[in-house]
Amino acid sequence: MIENLKEITKDTLLQEVQKFADAKARFVTTVCSDLGDKLEVTYYFNYSPGVDMSAMRMVVDKNEEVPSISGIYLAAVLVENEMFEQYGLKVKGMAIDFGGLMLLAKDSPVLPMVKDKAAGGKGGE
Amino acid sequence: MAPRTVAPFGPQHPVLPEPIQLKITYENEKVVDVVPALGYGHRGIEKACELNEYPKNIHLVERICGICSCIHGISYCETVERLWPLEVPPRAKYLRVIYSEMSRLHSHLLWLGLLCDALGFESMFMQFWRIREKVLDILEATSGHRVTQSISVVGGVRRDIDAEQEKTCIKVLQEVKKEAESLINVLASDPTVKARTVGKGVLTKEQAILLGINGPHLRASGVKEDSRMLGAQAYSELGFEPIVETAGDCYARALVRAREALQSIELQLEAFSKMPEGEIFERPKGRPPANEVTYRAEQPRGECFYYAKGNGTQHLERFRVRTPTFANIPSLLVMLPGCELADVPVIVLSIDPCISCTER
Repeated sequence: MIENLKEITKDTLLQEVQKFADAKARFVTTVCSDLGDKLEVTYYFNYSPGVDMSAMRMVVDKNEEVPSISGIYLAAVLVENEMFEQYGLKVKGMAIDFGGLMLLAKDSPVLPMVKDKAAGGKGGE
Repeated sequence: MAPRTVAPFGPQHPVLPEPIQLKITYENEKVVDVVPALGYGHRGIEKACELNEYPKNIHLVERICGICSCIHGISYCETVERLWPLEVPPRAKYLRVIYSEMSRLHSHLLWLGLLCDALGFESMFMQFWRIREKVLDILEATSGHRVTQSISVVGGVRRDIDAEQEKTCIKVLQEVKKEAESLINVLASDPTVKARTVGKGVLTKEQAILLGINGPHLRASGVKEDSRMLGAQAYSELGFEPIVETAGDCYARALVRAREALQSIELQLEAFSKMPEGEIFERPKGRPPANEVTYRAEQPRGECFYYAKGNGTQHLERFRVRTPTFANIPSLLVMLPGCELADVPVIVLSIDPCISCTER
């Protein structure tokens, strides 16, 4: 069970993230999971100094666009690029856009973390 | 405006043990922009963890990185144990602390050596690595392996440390402590080291928190935060207190790691003195239930975040690792612009980058 978890929507994402930034919380990471026809995205924050963590979760359709939080937390830029290239999560307005080639190469499997894609082979074949 | 030049820093560079590229734009020897380029070591380990049965993943996560191998293995087991939840025997908790701290000690000694190498202080580099070998020797003597110890299993640890081995470990740790103290005193007071590190790559406390950095990098900016404060394994019984510096520069980062290396020896000696007798393994019953958990471990390079989601089968539905360097790389985008080109190697090295971990 994830402690201090709050359900949000993509429309309230930036507003909720700003609250963490205002409270001087540290961005820890984001975890993306494939739920079949949707993606689940969970953002984790930590109040510094200290050890308590809080999380926010949203569920979005695979073709939906979500706003980037890298304008508030630059630290999120790598994980947002990773979610785009591994899961196909469309993140709008990333501070640096690696164009799907941050960890993967041009001949890597496509969207390798998506459940219905094969584990290996060019283009997920 | 003077002409601007874009130069690649890496993927092969003398201060980088692993491949990462920084595209550096500079003007009159002053850095004005930096863009990182990753992707030289991605292996799809998170995906592989979903495809393997959960006990096999231990060996896989231990290969995320060579230096952090032991703590990755222990942390994976701790994460999966939380899915039940499963309590491991007290002696196994102490053994996990001892192996974690041995890993931290050899990693910090390795980094201190690399820092000296980056500064051209070759004799000091060799001295740090010479004493590091003693730590690797006791790791080999107790676990059977110098690098990938593979000591942890879900439910406890694979091997015990007997009385004879314990005596050897304590003797070697005391020798290493004496030698490390002497070397650290020289390093910390050397004027050339100070000239190359003091005031370089400064991050304030506020910047450090907003950038989401962690580990010694964060603590060097005055934030008292360390995942060992959570008290997992036996840390709650060892009176652990994080080491903090406030200057936020490369010198402060070096001091934090140097003091942590010595603290790590103290923690091991204390763990040996308090370690109870008893079993070291309890076999888990059944499969990991449908549940989701997070776990944070303090790797030598900083906080490592683990997420696991079970689905009641032998396979994990999702396993995620956010390694310390993955979170520390964005800080380079703030620390490098404005610095002299000659300071780039030391500033990059000061976050103790681990690219194998970052890319998984």
